[in-house]
Amino acid sequence: MRSTGPWQQYFKLSVAALPSARGLLPLVVLLGVWQLLQTDKSPYFPPPSDWWNGLMLLSKSGRLYPALSATTMTLLLGLVLAIAVGTGVGLFVGVFPRLRRAIGPLLEFLRAIPPPAIVPVAILFLGYDERMKLTVVVLAAIWPILLNTSSAAERVHPLLLDVARSFRLSAVDRMRLIILPSVVPAILLGIRVALPVAIVVTLLVEILTSIEGIGALMIGAQRNFQSPQVYGLLVLIGLFGLLVNSIFAVFEAILLRRWPPKTQSENF
Amino acid sequence: MDKRRLIARINWPGTAVLAFIGLAWEAAVRSGLLDYEYLPAPSVIAVGWGELARQGILGPDIAHTLISVAIGWAAAMVLGISLGFLLGLSATARRYSLASIEVLRPMPGVAFAPVGLLLFGFSLKTEMVVTILPVLWPVLVNTMGGVTGVHQRLHDVGRTFRLGRRDTILRIILPAAMPPIVVGARISLGLALVLAVVAEMVGNPEGLGYGIVREQQALRPDLMFAYIVTVGLIGIVLNAGMLALAEALLPSFRQLRGDP
Repeated sequence: MRSTGPWQQYFKLSVAALPSARGLLPLVVLLGVWQLLQTDKSPYFPPPSDWWNGLMLLSKSGRLYPALSATTMTLLLGLVLAIAVGTGVGLFVGVFPRLRRAIGPLLEFLRAIPPPAIVPVAILFLGYDERMKLTVVVLAAIWPILLNTSSAAERVHPLLLDVARSFRLSAVDRMRLIILPSVVPAILLGIRVALPVAIVVTLLVEILTSIEGIGALMIGAQRNFQSPQVYGLLVLIGLFGLLVNSIFAVFEAILLRRWPPKTQSENF
Repeated sequence: MDKRRLIARINWPGTAVLAFIGLAWEAAVRSGLLDYEYLPAPSVIAVGWGELARQGILGPDIAHTLISVAIGWAAAMVLGISLGFLLGLSATARRYSLASIEVLRPMPGVAFAPVGLLLFGFSLKTEMVVTILPVLWPVLVNTMGGVTGVHQRLHDVGRTFRLGRRDTILRIILPAAMPPIVVGARISLGLALVLAVVAEMVGNPEGLGYGIVREQQALRPDLMFAYIVTVGLIGIVLNAGMLALAEALLPSFRQLRGDP
């Protein structure tokens, strides 16, 4: 039927999900100009070539990789937990309108509190450790996922629910066959929003508490006025964020290939 | 709106749950059921809030945070809308910069805090370094999306009326792109508050963000929670104000409110 294998199809979808490479030109030009304009060694604006040296220095001292893996672990574990709990609670709240109405204002208030404000609370309650870091990431990343899931579960087309009734589906089958498939795009949208939040909060905890991670490394470099390292780490974090987002975009494109295309209103 | 409709509009079960949680929290702490050293009862938090307000600490802190939110958001709006229009109108500009935007967009705001500290020390400028870039993206991307998403038929209308370039932009594209721009502005405003608080926590020891950290380090959880509640309330007020403003400016926005 189809001449291309699934992997070729996945590859095509992945390429389509990423922007074209020539758009990188302004960034490359900017960095090039920065490099060339640097006549003397400025303590505040070191040229990009120095950034690389700064990173190499960190990597040689053996501090870069443990920090990178600590940050990655916290982020991944935090996201997995937030997705599991957020989707579960979101479905539950969305399916029962009374429950939604009852705890809606509470959720709205909790969401209004900026995620970073949880950090000091968590420090006070849980102390300075990995567990605290993870808790904060989960608490911050859960809201977009939970709220998107619940509002999508609430807005499942009535016709689909009628179908479930016509086929006399059990509650479990109704959830599995009707509701879950119709909320998957919303869950993915929620995760897309939660990703940057999780990254920001992970770094913030590390900066505030100096628990091992890229954020701690960065604030340490700033305190020692190692400006090349600060810029180098900034680029590293940027690349890290780009990588995480791209992986997710590819994953989303592959997962959503059977769903109808996004409408304008969802695509904000 | 008459009184009965107002009463019907209030979410009674929701209010009851909020009140119940507040009371249960109060009771649990008072009775020693929840015996955490750092968990103050809601009444203690309220007293702490009153104390802060009376001592005249809270007012200036709120003012400082609001001012940095205003500066960051205004700068992001001006930059974001003009760049968004540029990118939305020119396919060439889009082709040669979209990937750069995609590289810069996931940059977490906090990561700029050490750079800001390096350049400007503990100051409002550092706060702006942290705030502006992340706040810029929702406005820019939504403006661009709004401008590129204007329906072809509307362009045809402009051509039929022989509108010049300037009139096409002002009378056709701008009104048509307004709803997504307003949505972007709203997301940005919420983000600006979050980032101002973050910046105050790490970059500039002033305002509500620093208040939270200061009271945490001073082991005064009641005052810390008072600050957090204040930040949450400001978030709600800003969001509601933005919605009211959008509805007043754009009658059609009311239909778009069914947002997540």
